[in-house]
Amino acid sequence: MVADGDRLLAVGLSHHTAPVEVRERVAFDEDAVRQTLNRLVRHEQIAEEAFLISTCNRVELYAVPRSVEGLQAFFGSYRGPTGERIDPYLYWYRGRDAVRHLFKVASSLDSLVVGEPQILGQVKDAVRLAEETSTLGRLLHPLTQRTLSVAKLVRSSTEIGQNRVGIGNAGVDLAMQIFGSLDGRRAMLVGVGEMGRQVARALLSAGLSELLVANRTFERSVELASEHGGTPVPYERLADYLPRADIVITATGAQHPILTVPMIRQALRDRRYRTLFLVDLAVPRNIDPGVAELDEAYLFNVDDLSRVVEEGKAAREQAARQALALVDDEADRFLASLREIDVATYLRAMNDACETIRAAEIERSRKLVSTLQPAQLEQLDAMTKAMVKKLLHKQMMAVRAAAKSGDEEKLRILMEPWSEEER
Amino acid sequence: MERLPYILVLVAWGFVSLGHLLPDVIGERLRAHLRSVAGLAVAVHAITLVVVGAMAPYETGFPEALSAASLGVGIAYVSVANQRLRALGMLLGPLALVLLGTAQVVPHRTVTALQETGVSPWLPIHLGLMFAGLAGFALSFVVGIVYLWARKRLKQKKFQGMARLPSLELLDRIQFRSMLFGFVFLTLGIGAGGAWAAASLRDAWEIDPKVWFTLLIWAWYGAALQVRLVAGRRGRWTALFSIVGFGGMLFSLVGLNFLLGGWHGYGG
Repeated sequence: MVADGDRLLAVGLSHHTAPVEVRERVAFDEDAVRQTLNRLVRHEQIAEEAFLISTCNRVELYAVPRSVEGLQAFFGSYRGPTGERIDPYLYWYRGRDAVRHLFKVASSLDSLVVGEPQILGQVKDAVRLAEETSTLGRLLHPLTQRTLSVAKLVRSSTEIGQNRVGIGNAGVDLAMQIFGSLDGRRAMLVGVGEMGRQVARALLSAGLSELLVANRTFERSVELASEHGGTPVPYERLADYLPRADIVITATGAQHPILTVPMIRQALRDRRYRTLFLVDLAVPRNIDPGVAELDEAYLFNVDDLSRVVEEGKAAREQAARQALALVDDEADRFLASLREIDVATYLRAMNDACETIRAAEIERSRKLVSTLQPAQLEQLDAMTKAMVKKLLHKQMMAVRAAAKSGDEEKLRILMEPWSEEER
Repeated sequence: MERLPYILVLVAWGFVSLGHLLPDVIGERLRAHLRSVAGLAVAVHAITLVVVGAMAPYETGFPEALSAASLGVGIAYVSVANQRLRALGMLLGPLALVLLGTAQVVPHRTVTALQETGVSPWLPIHLGLMFAGLAGFALSFVVGIVYLWARKRLKQKKFQGMARLPSLELLDRIQFRSMLFGFVFLTLGIGAGGAWAAASLRDAWEIDPKVWFTLLIWAWYGAALQVRLVAGRRGRWTALFSIVGFGGMLFSLVGLNFLLGGWHGYGG
């Protein structure tokens, strides 16, 4: 009868325990998830409740098993599509550890790239599938709901999702700090250096609207432009195109600055002093450092970008520590709230049982005494309700007190007459 | 009894300010509700101001002015202090607290000259519009400071904690829009003041120094908008205009009223 969190079991494999060859073979599609849940809960009755997360990096089952041995046997006999055993790769968590693990997974703290945002959507899908197959119950229903809210809390109150790795993303971070969004922005890539292309690619995947590509040899810029869905522009007309770009990335092998202070000053004037973000990834530098002095120009070189990457790493580690502490707290709070839910369920069970008896008796009286007037019936109804309430009061107080003090034996005795099986 | 609602509002702003300045004291969970608490404070404050104002229409003294300014800042807080703009809340929350706190302790001085003029609906309209304008300029001022600070950090390449700040573009948009809002209400407020003077004073009408000064501020903000809309200089230019303009506004609100006599002076 006691539905405490200790019965929760998490079994799974992930990038931490299993190589990709194993993971790719045991990944479940939606139908397979539904079938497995049905099999566990309905057909083989191994678990009372279950839900299953399957992504390319993990497969995890969360269940309230009828017996742990049954579940172990299930996984022991489980064979992947090519007949291999999976139990050597499995980790098992129980009770608080299982709750904590699920919160970590949903908050992207257990991900291959910590802080990546897709996992929350995948967990949501898993919850939806389990809801559709009706395999969530007294424990897993509140747990899944809480998991989603914990994941959102972690995302909004720590900076876990904010810093990404790589020089390209450092460029995106800086662009975001200046523009807020890349929608409607145009960037110009000058030169075809590898780092410049990385930044351009990252900007495009972060929502940049248009990319212009200029290179000393026009053929190469045409090639590069078609590769990234950009527009090639002739190198000789660089200055004409400059005012159209909100972002300029330089990565050429030129030995002298190709963008000078007067050029940028003119470009700023032509674009009515709208902000210009410049990234110079070339060594020696392609943009005159004096450009940084211009009011609306924000110039960063390759060292600046690598410092952004470093800062991001440090911030991410700190955010991960904060997020872990938060997850620990939330796991404790969830387990505590489960005990409260139990009391409410007990009290409802008592009420329901009495109400069924009462309603049946009223119905009997109504049939026996056919002369009962509506007013009399109403009075009868109110009177019996009050009686039931008063009779139950002390019993309910005792249940509350027992639950509060954690006296499970007493709780069991108190609840015995009200349990489903008795009736 | 009359003070109780203000004390509640003060406590609320104290909580909000603490949430921004010492986040660890408040804790994650409570911090999620800072904006709701601020919204409640603004609602209580506004109702109190209207009720008290209706009971004593000529008590438009210095504490009331500060209290109204605090309400304006509070409204600005509720409109902008969401997740991405936490840095603004960090300035606006304490500002609302300090303004209202000062209003509670400064001596009560009213404009004695007003009590001889009789009832005119133009007076509360004039005051309401002026404080709406002030609220707009206050927001523009605070955002302008954050803008300059964020810009300086980027220019000096200090990247630590960067993601916590709103983007320059967003800050610039807010400082411009709130300045435009302030300018529209200041214009209407000046008009309502003229209408009040025409209706209540008739022949005794004269332009006092505060009116001249306010017209100067109006022209200053007008110039700021010109520079932005016509010459295209935004960002730092708008921020600097805004900071100087709001300084003038504060001087007019606090300084001038004590220095001067007449329709805007406190017991001069």
